[in-house]
Amino acid sequence: MAMLLRTHFKLARTSIKENRTRSFLTCLGIAIGVASIILILSLTGSISNLVQSEISDIGADLMVVRPSSTKDSVTGIVEELTSANSFQKSSLAITDTDAIKKVENVTAAAPIAIATNTVITEKNSFDSVPILGTNIDFIKIEPLPIKYGAFLTAENEANSVVLGHTLSLALFNTINSTVGKMVTIMGEKFMIVGILDKIDKTINFDNIDYDNALIMNINSLDKISGSTQIQQINIKVSNTDSLAPAKEAITTALTEQKHGDKNFSVAYGDEITHPASNLFTIVSGMLAIVAGISLVVGGIGVMNIMLVSVAERTHEIGIRKAVGASARNILIQFLFEALILSILGGVFGLLLGYVLAFLLSTITPFTPYISWQIVAITFLTTLVIGILFGIYPALKAANKDSIESLKHYR
Amino acid sequence: MEQKVSENNTLIELKGLTKRYGYGDTESFALKDFDLTIKRGEFIMIMGPSGCGKTTLLDIIGLLDRATRGEYYLNGENVASISARRQARLRAKKIGFIFQNFNLIDDLPIIENVSLPLIYTGYSKTARLKKASSALKRFHLEEREYYLPYQLSGGQQQRVAIARAIVGDPEIILADEPTGNLDSRSSHIVMEELKAIHEEGNTIIMVTHNPALTVYATRVINMLDGQIDTDVKTVADANLPQPISVKIKKKKDEFISLGDEETGKSKKRKKSHRRRKK
Repeated sequence: MAMLLRTHFKLARTSIKENRTRSFLTCLGIAIGVASIILILSLTGSISNLVQSEISDIGADLMVVRPSSTKDSVTGIVEELTSANSFQKSSLAITDTDAIKKVENVTAAAPIAIATNTVITEKNSFDSVPILGTNIDFIKIEPLPIKYGAFLTAENEANSVVLGHTLSLALFNTINSTVGKMVTIMGEKFMIVGILDKIDKTINFDNIDYDNALIMNINSLDKISGSTQIQQINIKVSNTDSLAPAKEAITTALTEQKHGDKNFSVAYGDEITHPASNLFTIVSGMLAIVAGISLVVGGIGVMNIMLVSVAERTHEIGIRKAVGASARNILIQFLFEALILSILGGVFGLLLGYVLAFLLSTITPFTPYISWQIVAITFLTTLVIGILFGIYPALKAANKDSIESLKHYR
Repeated sequence: MEQKVSENNTLIELKGLTKRYGYGDTESFALKDFDLTIKRGEFIMIMGPSGCGKTTLLDIIGLLDRATRGEYYLNGENVASISARRQARLRAKKIGFIFQNFNLIDDLPIIENVSLPLIYTGYSKTARLKKASSALKRFHLEEREYYLPYQLSGGQQQRVAIARAIVGDPEIILADEPTGNLDSRSSHIVMEELKAIHEEGNTIIMVTHNPALTVYATRVINMLDGQIDTDVKTVADANLPQPISVKIKKKKDEFISLGDEETGKSKKRKKSHRRRKK
């Protein structure tokens, strides 16, 4: 039997080689579908990879509290995306941070709130500057590199700010003499006490582009912007063993604080890695569906070409049957041909997808992410496509009447 | 009982074989209550007008077709109602087909065409090619192993087809007008090859329109309307008057005799030289 399978494999290979152009075009159909899926998978993979590596840089003793959602379903997410005030209703409050700080083993807790506002300097005024509201614990949890000056301290935090590298350049055309200057936000004056070094990591678990951000105390932010929406609270615990009990304790403390509402989630380790934004998940999901459709189209191409091949080789089928091929022999021969076509397409697609992902990575912060799972998924998908779209032509070939087929000429 | 029959050197036994096409008004019978017993080693020629059921009979014996009713014993085993898969296996092992239009696969070199039946009996590629090569050698085509069918003459193609029919050492060789598409010279060569195969003890059943070819047969069956009209045993004898085709050229006898003996290299070359000149 194994011998027979090998022979069938060789037969299929020969037939594919004989119709080079046709086979190539069919493979291309599959390849494009696979390539787009690979592209999407490798990009999504690259993002969670980035976040993961960032978290391991920060340390395993990190925990995050996020406002959770009463909206976990897809319709909820879509609603959230389409409504104008997407982050306006965070369930976390500034006081929650204080509650968390009281929990045993918690060494630091920093809220992360984002607002955008106009920043005015003596010469310039900038619209839509992302402002990060936090507290002095922030730097303990995430040691961002400071180029000049220092981070907020307990003494100056009420009226001081720290600027990102790019923002400083944009506002003052310089970074080295910015410390000590004043900026005005909503009529309030703030002194610049520190400039961050270039970080160049737009994808991180805080979902903030630090190079363009202005960092200030969350109470000051609350005062100037009216309402502050906390998107997450970063927490550092004393050691990794206390992660699980701390999670328990934080959950209890917050639930008490919120009078029984459990509208938040506490995460540590791998649970943090999913990007904070649902938008990304949705977009990549949609893209994957589109790519899946193109794969189905590729599969139809395989079926089409196999039907042509079966029709063209009716005479051959008749001869093979006359000399002793059973229907099953013929079935396997043609099924193998379809399988080889689609798997070959899959291999092309894998390569094409990575080349595209690599090209994309040169103009975006993504790095192509390769894993054996992606390769396995590709292989299985093309295998399934090959069987799914190859079985009908193969059955058609196998069920041909041998006498009729022998009379058939091209 | 059946076992006894097969010991009795009976290869094929057909009983009440009927093949009907169509229903009602369009009903017609290609075979009607057909009885026939074939012994091992016979060279049977089946003759008769078009539409008398010759080819249908051959297809049924070759397990390509099924009778509407009736029994077919091959080596004492009733094979009329066995599964298609077992029929295919029997076709691969016990039956060799030779067709009027050769029926070679155009895309395969002739050596692979010849080795085709061996694929389905589970030979390895090397073993297949080895057997095919020696079969081709027997028909003096060893220099053309990797030619494609269209590069050969009709006579050569038919000899490839004969090589394919015998490569798996079948028990029955079925030939459906093997000379129908050939000129008389090639016909003669092909018939001589079949005769040689028969003399080795093979059973051959051949359908033909050409009465001149019956000299090769040990038994001639005339069919009419799906039934046996006459069934005559003859003694094929090389000394009997040969068919017209023999008279074409004196040289040919010499050539044909090559097939029976071990051919030297020089003779082979002579042969191919002659072929090219032709």
